[in-house]
Amino acid sequence: MDGMQIAPPPSQDAWEKVTGAAVYAFDIALPGMLHGKLLRSPHAHARIRGIDVSAALAMPGVACVVTGQDALALADPVYGVVLWDQPLLATDRVRYVGDSVAAVVAVDEATAFRACTAIRVDYEPLPALMGIEAALAPDAPLLFDEPAAGPGVRVGEGSRFVRDPAPNVLCEYGFAYGDAAAELDASAKVFSDSFAFSRLCHGHLEPHVNIARWQAGRVEIWSNNQDPFVLRGDVARVFGLPLQAVRFHTPLVGGGFGGKSYCKMEPLVALMARKARAPVRLALTFDESLLTTTKHGCVITLTSGVDAEGRLTARRAKILLDGGAYSDASAMVAVKTGFRIGGPYRWRAIDSLAQAVRTTTVPGGSFRGFGGTQASWASESQIDMIAHRIGADPIGFRKQNALRLHEPFAPGDSGMDSDLAAGLDEVSARIGWTAPRAAGHGLGIAIGLKDGGGTGNHAQAQVRLTHGGEATVSCAVVEIGQGVRTAICRLAAETLGIPEHRVRYAAIDTDHTPPDNGTHVSCGTTVTGLAVVEAAGRARGQLMAFAAGQLGCVPEDLVLDGWAVRLGNESHPLEPMIRRHFGGMGWEFIGGGAFKDPYIASAPLNAKNMFWIPCWSGAEVSVDRETGKVAVLKLIVGADAGRAVDSIACLGQIEGAAAQALSQALFEELRYAGEAPENATPLDYRVLQTPDLPAVFEGFVLEHALGPGPGQLKGIGEAGMLGIAAAIANAIEDAAGIRLTSLPFSPERVLAALDAQAPALAEVSG
Amino acid sequence: MTGMAITLSVNGLARRLTVAPERILADLLRQELGLTGCKIGCDQGVCGACTVLADGVPVAACTTFTFALDGAAITTIEGLSEDRLHPVQAAFATVGAVQCGFCTAGMILSTIALLARDPDPDEATIRAWLGGNLCRCTGYARIIEAVRLAARTPEAV
Repeated sequence: MDGMQIAPPPSQDAWEKVTGAAVYAFDIALPGMLHGKLLRSPHAHARIRGIDVSAALAMPGVACVVTGQDALALADPVYGVVLWDQPLLATDRVRYVGDSVAAVVAVDEATAFRACTAIRVDYEPLPALMGIEAALAPDAPLLFDEPAAGPGVRVGEGSRFVRDPAPNVLCEYGFAYGDAAAELDASAKVFSDSFAFSRLCHGHLEPHVNIARWQAGRVEIWSNNQDPFVLRGDVARVFGLPLQAVRFHTPLVGGGFGGKSYCKMEPLVALMARKARAPVRLALTFDESLLTTTKHGCVITLTSGVDAEGRLTARRAKILLDGGAYSDASAMVAVKTGFRIGGPYRWRAIDSLAQAVRTTTVPGGSFRGFGGTQASWASESQIDMIAHRIGADPIGFRKQNALRLHEPFAPGDSGMDSDLAAGLDEVSARIGWTAPRAAGHGLGIAIGLKDGGGTGNHAQAQVRLTHGGEATVSCAVVEIGQGVRTAICRLAAETLGIPEHRVRYAAIDTDHTPPDNGTHVSCGTTVTGLAVVEAAGRARGQLMAFAAGQLGCVPEDLVLDGWAVRLGNESHPLEPMIRRHFGGMGWEFIGGGAFKDPYIASAPLNAKNMFWIPCWSGAEVSVDRETGKVAVLKLIVGADAGRAVDSIACLGQIEGAAAQALSQALFEELRYAGEAPENATPLDYRVLQTPDLPAVFEGFVLEHALGPGPGQLKGIGEAGMLGIAAAIANAIEDAAGIRLTSLPFSPERVLAALDAQAPALAEVSG
Repeated sequence: MTGMAITLSVNGLARRLTVAPERILADLLRQELGLTGCKIGCDQGVCGACTVLADGVPVAACTTFTFALDGAAITTIEGLSEDRLHPVQAAFATVGAVQCGFCTAGMILSTIALLARDPDPDEATIRAWLGGNLCRCTGYARIIEAVRLAARTPEAV
């Protein structure tokens, strides 16, 4: 062979990561830094009668021990996303196995760990509420004595958000339009089905890490997170500090998927450092990260009608989410599950109610596409079931009912901006829908859907263009592996008219970086992208205005060509021109940009959705009737990027999300045995590995050019997770005639379903 | 605890070290030698993020006592390239096999060990070999593609 030429040069991001030069919070060490470890609750629910830290404090090398009592002295010592109920450390009670009870600061992790084991906590065990049913039982004890603080969720027309609607219910979200009761009454057929969604851990390889240092009344925190400005606000509020007294550095993040969204232990580490009077690093272990937040398990009951012509009429949904011990992002997950439950279809009426239930389990939090994954699983399973029951082709039925281009998702909301039928055609062609099935094989398809870009979201950005034609982009989108640094630099380079390798992505530091709302909801290239393009345009505008002034013309006369401007046939190199005017040191043209999606009270979520994220999924499976093992032989997953700024990165996002969903479908879940998780260790918490991959695993990227981002792009980071589980369940029914309504599709569940089917078959054959 | 005198060659540089008996290789590399490209993910020898090569053999640095490698030649991700990428690094960077990057060093070093044993691995061999390296981001498709690309690059093996 003539040798594979490796070109073009790798991006800044890829170069750093393949050489080991990439710096994560995990890698940062400060002079004089001490180390923290947390003591965690062995009880699901218990009153803390006392904590004796004397033996721990007496150990050589222990700097201090922090308990909930230290936190109580702070200005506002609770946190959460929009409802705040989580203390920095447990105060009067622990509420799940793994709840943080005390924090030791010592010279090294081993000493801190040993000191944790020397702390004596006097617990009075209380009844545990290990699931939704237990928490909602009439005699269930209340997990909280007081309602959660915090601003809650402001919703728009057709929606309502209620805190503490019932005992042990954190909040509920209702979403309705049309007259669901009347539509269901008038329907030719009505089907009611329930679906259970399993609880997942994020499993990011870099555990949560925070390093805090106090200097002159300010706290500086190096942290792996997805939203440094949200955290700056939280730490300032908890400590009663002005925003300027809190500074967050967010280096590269070793996997997020929502697990590093929103406040976790950042205020606690600041408190540990303040009490220790030294910089303190708290790096959780992988096991501890598994106990920090999870994807919400839930039970969804759907009652859906269809008319005599096969048109969907109305859907009623009851959604019960296991929110775990503390609110974290549960309120927003409830809102998004309730809102998204209709999926990509035309309904005359929707009546949806989602409740987040408090239980004594790991808090439910953000996880890639939250609400959308739960809703898509239930909805796309039921849509398939309805198609079978009325004798319709699952693809034809979906096409008949799918929202057309620009058709609004709901009254007052934005229209569909992807060609759903085109995506269905693509996935059905790739999965071989019309070809004869191989013996024992089944095919399934699904269209997952969620809204994207955020609700009333905003971002600001700055672009600095040097005299030599290099640019630096400053914005707060966190690189968590989605490739946003490369994409944002590419957008800036396009606007500036300079080569991409001349653009660098600045380190994120809240003292210098323009703020945003956080790296959530697949918003980076759209929301921040728009701000960056505006900033780049302004920097370029300054440059061209300067050059025009020097050349005695107007900017419109000039063409930027390489690092020179052309005026007519003459080329004028820019660098000498700039140095002549500004001096030898040179100059930077600095442009600012901003984007704000407006609030609109007539939209159900109080802002029109920015863009829609469909996920076209197809699966081919076989089911082993002896062992109950489901083999996914082929998995197809596609999304619409509007415009793919980086096609390979888009594919990587779609495939990576699909792999997480495949893992959930086949075996992955956090399981409880009694009051404690039984598999919350890296050895036991099984995630997808290379030998588990289907023989054929294909992603595809469509570019329907209808997104609101630069050049009609839209985000796809969460897409790939949405439709996979339902597509596989649909394929299992096609292969084996059994309908699985709970995840994962374990051999036990498959065998149970096959057994349940057996008598019916026997009857037919007898 | 008494230190143990050992010799290690780390990325080609011979070092005499005195290590505590319980000194874990990953901590030595990261904390004493500044080689933070060796990542600790699970800290239990499960995820493969900390993979380094000891005399060409992949080992989980997070669960390996340093003294056990007395006399060995250790290669970390930092030892693969200076101004030019190793072909396996280049392949990973080119085909989108890198997302968050936390597994990447371990993946690349495992791939180098694979190609040293089997310069032209088939799909099943690649999948089986990388089974000990978890990646939560990519879904592995592009990683496998990078291994295939590297195998076609003569100087990679």
